[in-house]
Amino acid sequence: MTVLVTGAAGFLGRRVVVELLRGGHRTVCLVRSARRSLELDSCISPALKSSARFVTGDLIDRDSCRRMLDGCESVVHLAARLAGSPSVLFLSTVVGTRALVDAAVDHGTRRFVLISTLGVYGTGGLPAHSVVDEACAIDPLPHLRDPYTYSKIEQERVAWVAGAERGLPLVVVRPGFVFGPGRTMFTGRVGVRVGPVTVRMGGGARIVPCTYVDNCASAIAAAVAAPDADGRAFNVVDDHLPTARDMFRAYRQSVGPVSAVTVPQWAIPAVAGAYEWCCRRSHGQFPPVVTRYRSASQWKPLRFSNERAKRVLGWRPSVGFADAVDRTLAALPLRPGTRTDGRA
Amino acid sequence: MRQNLRIALVGCGQIADAHLLQLRRIAAARVVAVCDRYRDVARQAAARFDVPAVFDDLDAMLAATQPDIVHVTTPPQTHLAIAASCLDAGANVYVEKPFARDLREAQELVARAESTGRLVCLGLDQLFDPAWQQCRAMVARGELGELIHVDVVQSYDLAGSFGSIVTADPGHWVHDLPGGLLHNAAPHALARLIDFIDDDAPRIAAFRQPRADHAAYATELRATIVGARITGSMLFSTAIRPAQRRARLLGAQGSLEVDLESRTITKYAAASFPGALAKVELPFRSTLQAAHHFGANLRRLGAAQLHYFAGMHALFERFHDAVRGTAPMPVTHQHALRVTALMDRVLAECRVSETTSATHTRGLDLEQASA
Repeated sequence: MTVLVTGAAGFLGRRVVVELLRGGHRTVCLVRSARRSLELDSCISPALKSSARFVTGDLIDRDSCRRMLDGCESVVHLAARLAGSPSVLFLSTVVGTRALVDAAVDHGTRRFVLISTLGVYGTGGLPAHSVVDEACAIDPLPHLRDPYTYSKIEQERVAWVAGAERGLPLVVVRPGFVFGPGRTMFTGRVGVRVGPVTVRMGGGARIVPCTYVDNCASAIAAAVAAPDADGRAFNVVDDHLPTARDMFRAYRQSVGPVSAVTVPQWAIPAVAGAYEWCCRRSHGQFPPVVTRYRSASQWKPLRFSNERAKRVLGWRPSVGFADAVDRTLAALPLRPGTRTDGRA
Repeated sequence: MRQNLRIALVGCGQIADAHLLQLRRIAAARVVAVCDRYRDVARQAAARFDVPAVFDDLDAMLAATQPDIVHVTTPPQTHLAIAASCLDAGANVYVEKPFARDLREAQELVARAESTGRLVCLGLDQLFDPAWQQCRAMVARGELGELIHVDVVQSYDLAGSFGSIVTADPGHWVHDLPGGLLHNAAPHALARLIDFIDDDAPRIAAFRQPRADHAAYATELRATIVGARITGSMLFSTAIRPAQRRARLLGAQGSLEVDLESRTITKYAAASFPGALAKVELPFRSTLQAAHHFGANLRRLGAAQLHYFAGMHALFERFHDAVRGTAPMPVTHQHALRVTALMDRVLAECRVSETTSATHTRGLDLEQASA
C-alpha cells in the first residue's frame, strides 16, 4: 500500500516512515523543505530508500493536498504544530486538516489515520483514579484547555464530521506524551516551568500517560492496515506507565540540576484557583496558563487503558520505560564536565 | 454616560488576541463579531473571548453587525482594500501597523476615510505606553530643556512566537512587503523618533543588512534622521540581547532613558561633588532611582497596571472617545501618513546606500584588476 505521511520528517514522523517501509508499504513523505528531506533520508536504510518518495506542499491549500495524495491509498496525518498562539495552531492544525480531509474524501482514500492526542478527553469531569479509555467523552469545553489541546480537539472534530457525513474511513490514534531521543523528557503532565524554576504539580505518585517514540510509531503503522479499525479511536500508551516522579527524575538526568518547587496534589485546586483569580482580577496581566479547569484535566490522578490498541491493532509496546529512558539519555550530547565512564 | 461602541475585528491572527484582550478591559465597548478568511481561526478567537458572531466574509459581517469600529489586523497588503470596505459601510477603522504597503496606499486610505466622514487610526500603540507618555510630558514641561537628540533602540526576536514563523516560512506575507521584516517590525521605533522630530522632510541616512545566519533577507536596520532642531538615530536589530525597547532623550538641560520593557524612566543626574567623589555619588543616585522603580512597579503589579499592551489599551480608549466626538484623534491621519512616508524614505535610503556600496565595490574590483 502507498501511504502519504504528513509531518514525515518530524520526531515521530521519521520513525513512522521507517516502520511503514519495514512493513512493506511505500511512502510519500510530506516534508517542509529540502533540508528536512535530507534529514529524513538519512534515517532510511539503503534497501528501503526506493520505496520512499518526498514531496513538499502546503496543507492549507486544497489543490496542493490533492497533488500530494496522487497515487496514495492511505494517509497518516501527523503534521501538527506543537506550540504557538491559538491562531497559529488552528491555522496549521485545524485548517490544514480540513483541507487534507476534503481532498482525501474526494480522492477516495482507503484509510485516513489521524494522529491526535490523549489530551482530548474531558478528564476534568472524571472522578479521580478513573480509567481513561476510548469510551470517555471528548472535552466539551475545549476552549478552556491549553491552545495545543484545543487545536487537537477541533482537528479531531473536523475529521470525525468528515467520517460521519462524507464517509471518510477514519482511524484516530491518541498517543500520550511521546518521548525518545531528540525530544525533551519534560511533559506538562509533571508540572509547569516558570522561568528557571520547575513547579512540580503533585507529589509524584500520579501516573503519566506516555509512550516511547518507537512504540508509538509501531502502533501507527499497525493502524494503517489493521482490519476492523475504521471509525474507531485508539489510546496509545505504553504498558507499566511511569509516575510523575519517574518522569521528573528522567528529565533531571537529561538536563542536569533543575530548580524545582512542588505543589502537593491536595493543594493543586486551591493554587490553580488562586492563580486564576489573580488572572481575572488583573484582567489578563498574568496569562491564564494555570486554571482550575486545566489543572483538573492535566493533573488529576487517573489510569490509562491501551487495551483496545493491543486487541484490535495487535500492537505491543516492545520497549519498556527503563530501556526507553536509557536510549533517550544515550542519545544526548555529553554536557561539559560529564565523565564518559558514566560516573559523573 | 458614554455611548457603548460596537466593535468588530477582521483578521484573527496573533495580534488579534492582544486586541481582543484589551477590548475586553473596556466597559464601554463590546466586540460583536470576528472575521477571518478561515472560519476555524475566527471560531477559536470567538470562543476564547466570548464574541457572539463569527464570519469568514467581511461584507457579510459588516452588513449583519453594522459595527461602529472595525479593527483590521490582517496582513498589511490587505489593509487598504479591507479598511476601504469598512469605511464605505460606515464604520470607523483601527488599522494595525504598518498602515499600508506604501505612502500611495496610505494616502488613498486616508482620502477614503475623509470622503466617507469616518476616522482611521493607525495602531501606534507603543506611543501610548505609560512610560512613553510620561517622558513626552517631561519633555513638554521643559524638564530636559531644549531637546537635542533622540536615540531609539529596538530589538526583535526571530525565535519569538511571530519571528519564528516568519523565519521558518519563506512564503510568509512579511517577506512580500517592500521592506520585508523591517517594514513590519520597525514602524514603532520610527514612530518614537518622529514623535519628537517634527520636520516635514528631515535628512535621512539609512542602512540595512542581513544577519550572518539570515542571509536571505535584511534583519538589521540603522537610520539617522536630521531635523532642523532635533536629530535622531535608530538601531533596529534581531541580534542584540536582551530584548529591548529603549530610547535616550538628550536635552540641553537634562537627559533621560526610557525603557518600555521595564516601564521605567531613568534621569541622568549631574554630580554635586567634584572629582572622585562624583564617581561615588552618581552610582548612589542610580541606586536610589532603581529602588524607586522597583517600589513603583511592585505597586503597579498589585494594581494590575503592568499589562504588556497597556499602550494599546490607552490608544483604544482615546480612539473610542474620538469616534464619539468627545476627544481629538490620538493618532491623526497626518501622523499616520508621516510614519508611512518615513518608512518609505528609510527604505529608499537603504536602497541608495546599497547601490552606492555596490558601485564602490565594483570600482575597487576594477582598480585591483587593472593593478
